[in-house]
Amino acid sequence: MIEADGVSKRYGDLVAVDDVSFKAEAGEVVGFLGPNGAGKTTTMRILTGFLPATDGTARIDGHDIFEDPLAARRAVGYLPETPPLYPEMDVAGYLKYVAKLKDVPRARRGEAVDRALERCGLADVHRRVIGSLSKGFRQRVGLAQAIVHEPSVLILDEPTVGLDPIQIREIRQLIADLASPPDGAPRHTVVLSTHILPEVEAICRRVIMIHAGKKVLDEPIEELTGDGRRLEDVFTRLTLGVDDVPEAGAASPEVSA
Amino acid sequence: MKHVGAIAGRELRSLFVSPVAYVVLTLFAVLGGFFFLASVLSFDTNVSQAQQFQAFDFLRSMNLNDHVIAPFFQVMWIVLLFLVPGITMGLFASEKTNGTQELLMTSPLTIWELVLGKYLAAAAFVTLLTLMLGLFAGILFVYGEPELNKTLAGLLGVWLVGLSYAAVGLFASSITRNQLIAFFLALVLLLILWLLSVFADLGGATGAVGTSSPVSGVLRWLSSSDHFEQLTSGLVDTRALAYFGFMIATFLVLTKASVESVRWR
Repeated sequence: MIEADGVSKRYGDLVAVDDVSFKAEAGEVVGFLGPNGAGKTTTMRILTGFLPATDGTARIDGHDIFEDPLAARRAVGYLPETPPLYPEMDVAGYLKYVAKLKDVPRARRGEAVDRALERCGLADVHRRVIGSLSKGFRQRVGLAQAIVHEPSVLILDEPTVGLDPIQIREIRQLIADLASPPDGAPRHTVVLSTHILPEVEAICRRVIMIHAGKKVLDEPIEELTGDGRRLEDVFTRLTLGVDDVPEAGAASPEVSA
Repeated sequence: MKHVGAIAGRELRSLFVSPVAYVVLTLFAVLGGFFFLASVLSFDTNVSQAQQFQAFDFLRSMNLNDHVIAPFFQVMWIVLLFLVPGITMGLFASEKTNGTQELLMTSPLTIWELVLGKYLAAAAFVTLLTLMLGLFAGILFVYGEPELNKTLAGLLGVWLVGLSYAAVGLFASSITRNQLIAFFLALVLLLILWLLSVFADLGGATGAVGTSSPVSGVLRWLSSSDHFEQLTSGLVDTRALAYFGFMIATFLVLTKASVESVRWR
């Protein structure tokens, strides 16, 4: 479970994230949507403890990211935009190292690595050196390192960027399975950022839209697209401030300023 | 502190799968062999010349410790000056280029664990280099009778110098993402530290600062050369030990601050 409470990040005069609050429960897949530079990555970096917030705080599984940072970080799996990989290590060795860093007890480490390998479809390449893997496989290794310690919260920064359509489908299926596993394993809370709208429609149950550092929308996806509206229109309206895009050509009077 | 071992272990393994460790070890072995041979040969020449001119006083003053081992260690100290930055340059810089910094900083470990783990890996490598020098000195024990304690004091000096250089190199690596810059930055810092005593002497010679002035005293103390020469001459002074301890601690604290600053940018 994630509870973000008035999270803000300022760099001098520049406000990167402005008073963002939201809540995400176990089993939910929340899509962070917004144009490039909207503050998605910064928000995620704050939630994972990589950056401190200037204001506000967040709780991961009840652990405050400032008051109890180590416990909060133990509960988070994070896939940054570039998967954090050591090219000279082999896949299994790398995952074992990450398991050590994330405090997986020694007795359970082998099992945790095997499970992550299997879930991410890496069993066949576990002895390969990461540097020799294709981009799609590297992305999977990145995902495997995020789930190896069975965190209750997964934060994925553009998990499908640069992959081919088949790989994208596999990764999306994997994310859906992590949120509500078919085998009844504990459910993860997943937050993923993207600017690919169909991706949100495909896997997210809820959409949080961020624009210029502010949360401008937080709604279940059915309500957004239920009455025949398209997500793209909602997105354009909120980020460009243009009303009624469907009726293109008929400029609304409020826009003329 | 339970992650220190994991970080150090990964770092060492990664040093030994990359060419860096082997390049450094090879250079160290080749240069070590060359300078060792040179020291022994010059000792041999000196002895036979002294015999030829029947300079018995001089002959009596000659010994393996002062005329082979000490000069040899002092040359190898300069070699360390160039090689240790080669080992340390990637310690933090490569984490930034790999993007693995984000993994480390979002894992449940403290910055101290991270810094000490990295340092431990570099320290282990320096220890390996020191042992290699010990092997060279060991050869002399087979063919001659150098003093063991004096030799060990010299090795201790090499080890401590190497450890303090590793701390400087670690710091240099933590402030840039470019390994080449980390290398040269470490080299420049080490050269400055080494040359501080020369500056102190220069100041004295030109009259800018007196040789006995406090400024010159501080410069001399900060410079690694006097402490090191003392150790190679067989004198284990607590002031020298304190100096190296101080240097290592200072640069580790600086490294910690520098790594932590990523969070506050």
